[in-house]
Amino acid sequence: MTKRNGARPITAPGWTAEPRSPVALVDCDVHQGVGKIEELFPYLPRIYRRQAEEQGVRLPGSGYFNVARDAHRTDLVDGKDRPAHDRQLGNDYELMRREHLDLWHVDFALLTGSSMYGTSVLPDPDFAAALCRAFNDYTMERWAARDDRFLVAIAVSTSDPRQAVAEIDRLGDHPQVRAIMLPTGTRMPYGNRFYHPIWEACHRHQLVVGIHPGNEGAGMAGPPTGAGYPTYYIETRMARPQMAMAHAASLIAEGVFEKYPLLKVLIDECDQFWAIGLMWHMDADWKSLRDQTPWLRRLPSEYLRQHIRIGSQPFMEPKSPDQLASAIDALHAEETLVFSSDWPHWDWDDPATTFRGLSPELHQRIFADTACDLLGIEGPTAGGGVAPR
Amino acid sequence: MVVCPEAELPAGSRRLVVPFRGRAGIGVFNVNGRYHALRNLCPHKLGPLCTGRVSGRVVAAAPPSTDASEIEVVQKGEILICPWHLWEFEISNGRCLVDPRVRVKTYPVRIEDGFVVVYARQSDLPTQPGGALAGTA
Repeated sequence: MTKRNGARPITAPGWTAEPRSPVALVDCDVHQGVGKIEELFPYLPRIYRRQAEEQGVRLPGSGYFNVARDAHRTDLVDGKDRPAHDRQLGNDYELMRREHLDLWHVDFALLTGSSMYGTSVLPDPDFAAALCRAFNDYTMERWAARDDRFLVAIAVSTSDPRQAVAEIDRLGDHPQVRAIMLPTGTRMPYGNRFYHPIWEACHRHQLVVGIHPGNEGAGMAGPPTGAGYPTYYIETRMARPQMAMAHAASLIAEGVFEKYPLLKVLIDECDQFWAIGLMWHMDADWKSLRDQTPWLRRLPSEYLRQHIRIGSQPFMEPKSPDQLASAIDALHAEETLVFSSDWPHWDWDDPATTFRGLSPELHQRIFADTACDLLGIEGPTAGGGVAPR
Repeated sequence: MVVCPEAELPAGSRRLVVPFRGRAGIGVFNVNGRYHALRNLCPHKLGPLCTGRVSGRVVAAAPPSTDASEIEVVQKGEILICPWHLWEFEISNGRCLVDPRVRVKTYPVRIEDGFVVVYARQSDLPTQPGGALAGTA
């Protein structure tokens, strides 16, 4: 292992710092991207390429400050003579390989993208679909092809479900494609029947529906919180779990998992505590109001536990180890929780220090087994690489 | 441990030294002519603290909706921000500004014969000021 400052894999209890067999570490939120958005232009149809060259890509934002360096960890970008707004880190495979995949012995990393979360809230659904195709082609060529540890969550715009389905059909059977990636910022929560053709396509191709913060309050999306527009980024972030709650409740109540019984949803980067309260609250509500959604055959919490997986970053930080143990128990973490790092952002969680005091069995569930079930990883076989689904 | 000649650590600069291979190392800072050394391991989640940004502390007397509000930056150059999760630390004493229970380990620093010298332990300090160099880089 290379010399390194700061945390290292050997520091965690139960962590051997050696690759284990068959799979020890699956990271369900690793952001790859482009260095500069112009790198996508060769992948765009000529009409959009010309417009983008003349006017920029015009992906909508919500106007909040995040943190400098495009929210990257400053130890990865500082000291390299890069100007503050330079996005060059996004396409740096070698950096990711050296400082993340190799360093922590990541067996599989789900590439969750970066720039394309805004496509779903662009007014023009054709341009949105073209951007997603371009980004996916770029990702398959420049990232996926370089490392067989990569699994890909393809970018899809929900604004035209027909084109979303076409993109899923185009790439969904590629052996490394295991998911689609969507933002939490939407016009309607994801249980709405408008989206069902997309879920049907994912179900057919056995792709996970990934949901990740992005676009709250941007473009055509609703405001970043149910109460409206907060003033600061920190407020949107503090209120972020309600986005996860709204989508999870909607997916469950509108019967998506009755229609598509094998569909799995991954909710990344929204914390975890919300799922505990939501399970309790949904079950209580359903016992009183069951006749409003009579197509549900089980307690709402049972759908969540079976169909929704929750990324571990940012990991909840209760006040004491006892509180954390209770929360892990109430979350049914052995079923619902998967490790996500959010590489390479400032708020990332490394695999070693975030999870102290887990039993070896639970550690293996969170860091590998649940994600293997989710993403269809059978582990390195005799021939190595990703086993077929 | 000899870090470097005094002239190579001017005010506002830092050096990262790794006394033993594989260890996190120690960050040595010159803050307005005073020298400080901190362990390069964030007590929060073991991030490489001393590679973080050196900055000031942003303070406000009151919320911006009041007339008394003014946002200021104080302690310029005296605050270290961990690149992982952005917790703030006072370089001079290792105190964490967002959690008073948290403190990063500090080490004594001396200038000896024009060199910046860091001591791993308080007990290693020479009894007489300006004594012989202790340890090697």
